[in-house]
Amino acid sequence: MPEPIDDFERELQQAFERRPAPPSLKRKIMERRRFQRADRLHHRAVFWQRLAASVLLAGALGGAITWRNAEQRRKGEAAREQVFTALRIANHALNEMNAQLAARNRNTQ
Amino acid sequence: MAHDWQPDFEQLVDEHQSMVFSLAVRMTGDRGLAEEIAQDVFMEMDRNLAKIESALHACFWLRRVTMSRSADALRRRRVRGFDLWVEIEEDHGALEEGRNSPLGARLENLLATLPAPQRAVLVLRYQEDLTPEEIAATLEAPLATVKSHLQRGLKLLRAKAESQLKEYIRRA
Repeated sequence: MPEPIDDFERELQQAFERRPAPPSLKRKIMERRRFQRADRLHHRAVFWQRLAASVLLAGALGGAITWRNAEQRRKGEAAREQVFTALRIANHALNEMNAQLAARNRNTQ
Repeated sequence: MAHDWQPDFEQLVDEHQSMVFSLAVRMTGDRGLAEEIAQDVFMEMDRNLAKIESALHACFWLRRVTMSRSADALRRRRVRGFDLWVEIEEDHGALEEGRNSPLGARLENLLATLPAPQRAVLVLRYQEDLTPEEIAATLEAPLATVKSHLQRGLKLLRAKAESQLKEYIRRA
């Protein structure tokens, strides 16, 4: 049960009635809100732009590294092919020379 | 938690600006600062609008944040070395000069001389018509502390009124 209030408390209630807010308060609040929203949108746009730029940069860097690795692998394969070809040619030349030497040995005997 | 209530910020400002401003001005005794506090409180509400669940919750939230912001402003003012006592003395001066001003205004001047915690509970009790339990929830303070501040504040204010306001001097 609420406690009964005396005259002094009743006078306090009357004295402490809500005061009307200054007429400009609402306008200031709405202006600050608009400004803050625009600021927040701007910050969000800058954030997404930075994120997109970072993703693009990371993609380009990743692509460049991958391409460089593939290029090095391709060059390595080509060099190996060349070495094998040289070895095959040398092998073929040695075989021919061997055959000629064997034929000459047979003729001299 | 999902809730159906769709808050309309502009409508909330319309409904509660007077309450927020009055609480801030009675807590700080400074109209300019109170206006700044009111703006900050509504900006904070705008940021937290999604968390507000009902009209009642909005009102409770605004009261709690206004009281907390006002207490912060008073603390900052003390830290900055603002001479509150000089201001209160000036208020007394105004009181002396304004003996013929409305009783309400003079009671408000006396309220400004009370310690901040007592002022807070008295404002919530007599401006907002809150029960001690509701005041305790708003200020996030123990109920016993609120009741003690209410009792002491009221006693002090009554004593000051009886010694300084002619209407009460006659009665006392």
